[in-house]
Amino acid sequence: MHEYSVASEMIDALLPKLETIEGRVVAVILKKGEMRILSDHALSNAFELLAQGTPLEGARLVVELVPVCVSCAACGYEGPVDHVSDEAFHFAVPILSCPTCQSEVDMKSGRELYIDSLTVQTPSEANPA
Amino acid sequence: MHNVQVSGEDILKRQLELAEGNRRLMEAKNVMAISVMGAIGSGKTSLIERMIDRLAAGGHHVGTIAADSAGDDDHRRFLAHGASSVNLNTQDDCHLDAHRVDHALGHLPMDDMSVLFIENVGNLICPADFPLGTAKEMVVISTTEGDDMVRKHPKIFAQTDILVLNKTDLADAVGVNPERIISDYATVNPHGTAVLTDARHDVGIDELLAALGL
Repeated sequence: MHEYSVASEMIDALLPKLETIEGRVVAVILKKGEMRILSDHALSNAFELLAQGTPLEGARLVVELVPVCVSCAACGYEGPVDHVSDEAFHFAVPILSCPTCQSEVDMKSGRELYIDSLTVQTPSEANPA
Repeated sequence: MHNVQVSGEDILKRQLELAEGNRRLMEAKNVMAISVMGAIGSGKTSLIERMIDRLAAGGHHVGTIAADSAGDDDHRRFLAHGASSVNLNTQDDCHLDAHRVDHALGHLPMDDMSVLFIENVGNLICPADFPLGTAKEMVVISTTEGDDMVRKHPKIFAQTDILVLNKTDLADAVGVNPERIISDYATVNPHGTAVLTDARHDVGIDELLAALGL
């Protein structure tokens, strides 16, 4: 349950950037690596709550998943991985193994956590003439 | 409405930088640091005690960071086994982070140690998201938690190279088949190493040390 501290870091990082942006932020697009163990629901709730009283109040948090991608030193494969399809797991778990030669791999993406972009509404967009 | 791109810096960048600083410090001091994650009551502390004894017999001086939300029980146990230890209360936080480890390292005799065990708060979710700068990571579960632990927490097992299944002596008593747990682990982490231990009776400790490269 570290979603609140992550949301807090996110808001702290965003607020100074808003000084140069004209308009109201309606959505914050967060990129989250597939291997991150963070609940989207808890993150959105935390963001909504902690944004109250700041210029981000009312903005929606949109979480977009970044898939795990790997590179394989053995066969040169670069790209996404297979997922556990066993029904017992109930959700897709990325397997850190080369999908072509089953060797060990380096993870190139899948652990990110960054704000990609903001959706902004300017005063003229909010109140068109 | 329009989209505005922002810098794209990692939100936990500071944590990643601190973890990298810890890693560099430990490399410079030739300290092999191992992060011990795992379930509450799985036997993390007992396993570390056994490893301290083995390593001390081999001439190593071991350091420990004992993290719990409160109390100093584990810390006192490590001291009783001759380790240099720092007690770290996270005060209700569910995981350790690199910042707290950075502070704890300042209270350990880094020049005299060759191995450091960092025992995380008992939790199979949050610790996986916070790298500490250790060279190795292991996750401990025990037979008494049931044989579905890997399926319930697949992501931490999918990205941790060593699984320790402890309390194998109790498997029959609680009706758990260790093979099922090992098989689940092999499914989510084909390149991981699973070690079976019974810390209470000192079983499997040499195999665990070998898996850790010690």
